[in-house]
Amino acid sequence: MMIARIFRQIWNTATALTLAALVCAVVLVLAIGAAALLGYPPLRVADLWLHGAAGSWYSLSSSCADACPLLLTGLAAGVAFRAGVLNIGAQGQFLMGALVAVALSTRMMIFHQPALVIATALTGGALAGGIWGLIAQYLERYRAVPVVLSTILLNFVALYLVAAALQGPLQAVGTAAAQSPEIAGKYWLPLFVPYTDFHIGIILAFMLSVLLWVVQERTVFGFESHVVGLNPDTAKAMKMPVAWRQFQIMFISGGCAGLGGAIQVLGQVHFMTAHMGDYGYAGIAVALLGRLNPLGIILSAVFFGFLDTGAFRVEESSLALPHDLADVIKAVVILVMLVLAGISLRRSRRAAKSERTTSAETPSA
Amino acid sequence: MNTAPNMITFLSRQTVTAATPMILAGVGELVGELSGVINIGIEGSMLMGCIAAYTVTGVTGHGTAGLLAAMVTGMVMAVIFAAATVWGRADQIVAGTAMDLLGVGLSGMIWMMYQNWRENLGFSTALPHGSGFSPLAIPLLRDIPFVGPAFFEQYLLCYLTICLCVGVWWMLNHTRLGLIIQALGDAPEACHAAGVRVRLGRSMCLLFAGTCAGAAGAYLSIMQTHAFAADMTGGEGFVVLALVIFGRWKLPGLVGGCLFFGLINSLQQTLQTARYTSQNSVLHALTHVPFQFFQMLPYLAAIAALAVMSRNSPGPRYINIPWPSAKT
Amino acid sequence: MATLPPALRLSEIQKSFNGVPALDGVSLEVAAGSVHGILGENGAGKTTLMNIIAGLLRPDSGSMEIMGNAAPVGSVRESRAFGIGMVHQHFKLADNQSVLDNIVLAVSKSLWSRRGRGVLQNIDYWCRELNWTLELQKPVRELGVGQQQRVEIIKALCGGGKILILDEPTAALTPAEVDELSSAVAGLANAGMTVLFISHKLQEVTRMCRVISILRRGKLVYSGGVAGLSMQQIAEKMVGAKVDVPRLVQPLGHAESRVLLELQSVDYRIGKREPPLLSQINLRVHAGEILGIAGVDGNGQSELAAVISGTVDPVAGRIMRSGAARADAPANSACIPEDRHKEALVPALPIVSNLLLRKYRHRPYVRWGFCRFGKWRTSAAALMRQYDIRSRGIDDAVCTLSGGNQQKVVLARELSDAPEWILAVNPTRGLDVGATAFVLRQLLDARARGAGIILIHGDLDELLSVSDRVAVMRGGKLLATPWPQFTRELIGRMMLAGA
Repeated sequence: MMIARIFRQIWNTATALTLAALVCAVVLVLAIGAAALLGYPPLRVADLWLHGAAGSWYSLSSSCADACPLLLTGLAAGVAFRAGVLNIGAQGQFLMGALVAVALSTRMMIFHQPALVIATALTGGALAGGIWGLIAQYLERYRAVPVVLSTILLNFVALYLVAAALQGPLQAVGTAAAQSPEIAGKYWLPLFVPYTDFHIGIILAFMLSVLLWVVQERTVFGFESHVVGLNPDTAKAMKMPVAWRQFQIMFISGGCAGLGGAIQVLGQVHFMTAHMGDYGYAGIAVALLGRLNPLGIILSAVFFGFLDTGAFRVEESSLALPHDLADVIKAVVILVMLVLAGISLRRSRRAAKSERTTSAETPSA
Repeated sequence: MNTAPNMITFLSRQTVTAATPMILAGVGELVGELSGVINIGIEGSMLMGCIAAYTVTGVTGHGTAGLLAAMVTGMVMAVIFAAATVWGRADQIVAGTAMDLLGVGLSGMIWMMYQNWRENLGFSTALPHGSGFSPLAIPLLRDIPFVGPAFFEQYLLCYLTICLCVGVWWMLNHTRLGLIIQALGDAPEACHAAGVRVRLGRSMCLLFAGTCAGAAGAYLSIMQTHAFAADMTGGEGFVVLALVIFGRWKLPGLVGGCLFFGLINSLQQTLQTARYTSQNSVLHALTHVPFQFFQMLPYLAAIAALAVMSRNSPGPRYINIPWPSAKT
Repeated sequence: MATLPPALRLSEIQKSFNGVPALDGVSLEVAAGSVHGILGENGAGKTTLMNIIAGLLRPDSGSMEIMGNAAPVGSVRESRAFGIGMVHQHFKLADNQSVLDNIVLAVSKSLWSRRGRGVLQNIDYWCRELNWTLELQKPVRELGVGQQQRVEIIKALCGGGKILILDEPTAALTPAEVDELSSAVAGLANAGMTVLFISHKLQEVTRMCRVISILRRGKLVYSGGVAGLSMQQIAEKMVGAKVDVPRLVQPLGHAESRVLLELQSVDYRIGKREPPLLSQINLRVHAGEILGIAGVDGNGQSELAAVISGTVDPVAGRIMRSGAARADAPANSACIPEDRHKEALVPALPIVSNLLLRKYRHRPYVRWGFCRFGKWRTSAAALMRQYDIRSRGIDDAVCTLSGGNQQKVVLARELSDAPEWILAVNPTRGLDVGATAFVLRQLLDARARGAGIILIHGDLDELLSVSDRVAVMRGGKLLATPWPQFTRELIGRMMLAGA
């Protein structure tokens, strides 16, 4: 019985992973095929791509370093979607987290102690992201503003807020651009393999996703938030604290994204501009490819990290194939996964409502 | 220039100019949402319209060809979206986000490749002289004080948009087609029982929405600015989504909302420049406000509008519920 | 009399959903100008068959002839062109649109014209024929159920006009409205229409129709005259094996036992300016009794259920629940809501999770905030045996179960911990005879154990067979009935009076 159950779980995970891998492979082949049609030599593109993403220790490490923010924004989307909170604002939360982390590591260094500064910057970033997310949840709960729309609009507010800060109090000396000063080297996240991009933020993100998996799959909190996501009405009837869980989930989700921003500035780029990449939006693709499972999200984040890094190397090469191709691939992956895997974020409340009206068309017993 | 009447004339004209693409995309989105499909990704369709119009105009030298290309591109985007959501039963919110990502990525990619290609051929990437649209003044009417220039010294597409609004309004309120579209989103089973093919109907509405979004993109790139830049729509598509709710899924409300946002937009642009030149002390005091806060204004206003208006406006009941819904 | 071709002839209709056969080779003839009853249990395939005739569903195989002409299957337009109109059990009306718009939407052929003169004349003709008046400009949502049904019938007549299908038309009607409907149906048949009348209630069908067909599990088991068949024989043909409907042997009077739940002058409304949905509700539930609440749908029953279960707070009045003082923690109560998908189950989750929804956060199912799935599974497995929930295993998602088994999951969860009082709203809706009997028996068992039960139920016969006392909801008020003279007729009159 027990063994059969474990076997079935493994089997389910395996089929899901195979499906995801298959989708990725097909989309990749199609993308390279499209590049070939546009006159780029396909074999050379593939070769450059592979080498750029995993050809050496260094490129391997930069792929992983790129996967790190993707993992965290992917967790942000995954945790929220599973609980029925449609947080599309990971981008804004990511930016707010990065902003606060930069402020705490370039302007307000606590006692100038590296460990302390790094810890406060990471915590501050996570808190900032979480609070930024809570604004949207507050608007939904008390003003009936759909989270989907408010998070998207707040992304733009965050973008301009960051730009204003980077041209105001956080601007680097001697530049007119919206850019922060570089973070002092002692406040960078330490590397665990020297002379690469393997910083401890990667380990942190990895541990966080394992932790979130345990919370989702094994705790009462995870069970309740899943029920809230699938059917808030039943959850309410069962006396679950629906609104409170949604606020908590939104805070965790925003916190993940904010932490992603903080880790990205402290570990990878070491200074900030308003253009930090579309990690927030890409996180949605990561979460869906990982089927909203934190462990699956690790794999899909690594995959997208390789995809992105490789794409940049191809763009830098003489071929100059635009790296936006990676974004296109992500979008196609989302669409295909949505249709194939039938991942449903639909609240079953609505589905149930429509089911009643059309139930006459299917045999009921 | 700085006399008040001139200012009003200028502002009103700017308002209509800025509102036109939002109205255009909004009318399409409204029809789509009424039929039960919310498309978060019109931003992507608009961007694709921008790049399609720009490149085709650049290559052919004909603005009309660019406009048509933009509309066709918008349709293609709509076909993809409809295939995923209406026929593939994908979640509309997430699929819409993917369409946005697709539009951003693909337009950026095409733009880079277009630049490379034109430079290799030794051409400029700017539009050929006179190929974009310029405002078309209607004699006599444009001389009406204040509102004349606002409504009668505009781009061709702006006039077409006005016609489209009237047409769609009439269609929604006075034809059986309007009844069908509203029933698609409110009671699809009534449509089904009446012999209307629900999925086909929704796809048609989405095609219309895509065409509108593509045209709105063309307006941005080959009429309003004569330029293309990555992410040039700057979130306008998302503001439109908020405005559809703000207008409570009614066309007049939507148009009113768009004009209001056009006003905010042109005000913020005017303020940004005026505060440096004006003698007015209040305006001058604004010099200390970073210009990003002005850019932020439309989004904050959209959120505020939603916070005020979303209560008690449920909208079409079957948004984001695929048809047929009972199969488990 | 010359032999007319039958109005409708179906041959060998076959249809399955996801591999489950719903109709298995049904052949049927309906004589022109007759009222033909279609009988069958829930899930017997009646509605599926009718949807096929109306063109809403395409059969896997089989053919259809109308008035002797072969008619294509699977197209609403074609069916309508052949004169078929259907009134669905769940009305297919756009609530927010006016009556006229709904009819135009369904009937008109032009995409543009919305004020077709032909449509208006048609509506007028049928209204005069049936002696009805319709308020054409009123939004459908403001009409009562009976009026909505009239709109549906007129809509179907305007669209087709030769064969009218009525799918469970009496389910939501009061006895008086049923009478009006049956005289209208008789009038239509006299005027030459063919009417297919679908029901699972024997009395109505035998009263209205002279010819009946009986479906059982997707097969046609009988087709022919009513004369010469006893009720008992028809019932056996419908159900197959004989099933006893549980019945209360000895109803109690005013119980002297402990009061478990009491409502005192409870008022409820949604907005300040809206009319009250509940006004001055007083009721008491004693230990060991079933209090039945009858009424036509939409007279405040859902609101009453919501107030009792504590999902909404009343505007005025007091609710006293035994044991639990606070409204949010009635741990000794159980609730079997009207819509199990919406309020009682999480269809996408496995049976085990659904069975544990009440007690997952209590010991011993949780430790330090972690779920102890081992305990969950033992508990769930025991409940599944006890309540005879049929599935492949406790890890199957609830949405893969049949309606009856889904309801058993709800019952198992709600009733297994011996609650003191139970609120049940339409607990047998959509279930077949076997499952209905099971549900009613469970309620009677709980009563025997000493629980107090409030049963809000739309099916008057079932309600009367198990209730100790009956009250009637009408227009948000609760009317007591004299004990023990509550008869079907009396309650029918009370449900309707003044409405």
